[in-house]
Amino acid sequence: MMNEEQYLRSQMGTKNPFRVPEGYFDNFASQLMAKLPEKPCADGAGAERVPVIRHTALVMRLRPLLYAAACLLIAVMSVTVYLNRPGLDVHEQTAAVAAQDPSLSDTYFEEATDYAMIDNYDIYACLASE
Amino acid sequence: MVQLDDQQLKSLLAEEKTQRQGFDLMVRQYSEQLYWQIRRIVLVHEDADDVLQNTFIKAWNGLSGFHGDSKLITWLSRIAINESLDFMRRQKNVATISADDVESGVANQLMADDYFDGDSTEAQLQEAIAKLPEVQRTVFNLRYFDELKYSEISTILGTSEGALKASYHLAVKKITEFFKHRD
Repeated sequence: MMNEEQYLRSQMGTKNPFRVPEGYFDNFASQLMAKLPEKPCADGAGAERVPVIRHTALVMRLRPLLYAAACLLIAVMSVTVYLNRPGLDVHEQTAAVAAQDPSLSDTYFEEATDYAMIDNYDIYACLASE
Repeated sequence: MVQLDDQQLKSLLAEEKTQRQGFDLMVRQYSEQLYWQIRRIVLVHEDADDVLQNTFIKAWNGLSGFHGDSKLITWLSRIAINESLDFMRRQKNVATISADDVESGVANQLMADDYFDGDSTEAQLQEAIAKLPEVQRTVFNLRYFDELKYSEISTILGTSEGALKASYHLAVKKITEFFKHRD
């Protein structure tokens, strides 16, 4: 980054290209004070408020997590719909999935069985009956 | 003009009898610094003048809300930047042309501005800055032109120094690419 910043400074410098009308700053304070009410209105308008930028930055930081959570939810719902499709016995669902893809992890089976609402006893019974 | 330190100004502002006098001194002491922070965001002198006045009016009405925890210039800078960004958002909402057109016309507008003394390259730099997102634009102006420390910017914007460094890095990168692309 230092090279890029150095490039900018060498090309642009930090010269201020803007200017103001003559006497602007000399007259500003007196003109402003003439407009101010005698006493502060005390409506809290000047209360220390952090610029909205901070809230925007917080949302930006959370956005990837929200996207990941949404993707996980969609994936789980898709598996649930697939496993609960008509014509497929609930006790054969887990075996059917395992037969299709032996590389599925234990975590996947645990999630699938949770959603199919079958417990370990049911699984043993199913395997023993084969 | 006599320069008072933060504590002296705060003491004057805290007392009802000296509040107006203290505010006048504060305006004289900080108006120029705040003006340039505002001007680099809104670009046009007349708009900067309006925003600066609104900044101090809000500060005056919000004196009871200032608890003295921060420096006066930090508090005023927060208000000024808030007002500047609000002004730019309102301007974008009412623009009759698209936002992209507004930003790409910045260089041309500046070259036609009586209160802009830069050449076309400097106008293009301002155009590149105008295209940045709010965060990067604000951080870039405060760091590159005002040469504020990240700790100072962090206090003004309420953002972590790490996030500010990342924003500044991105801003410098984009502006550099903008110019290299143009070359």
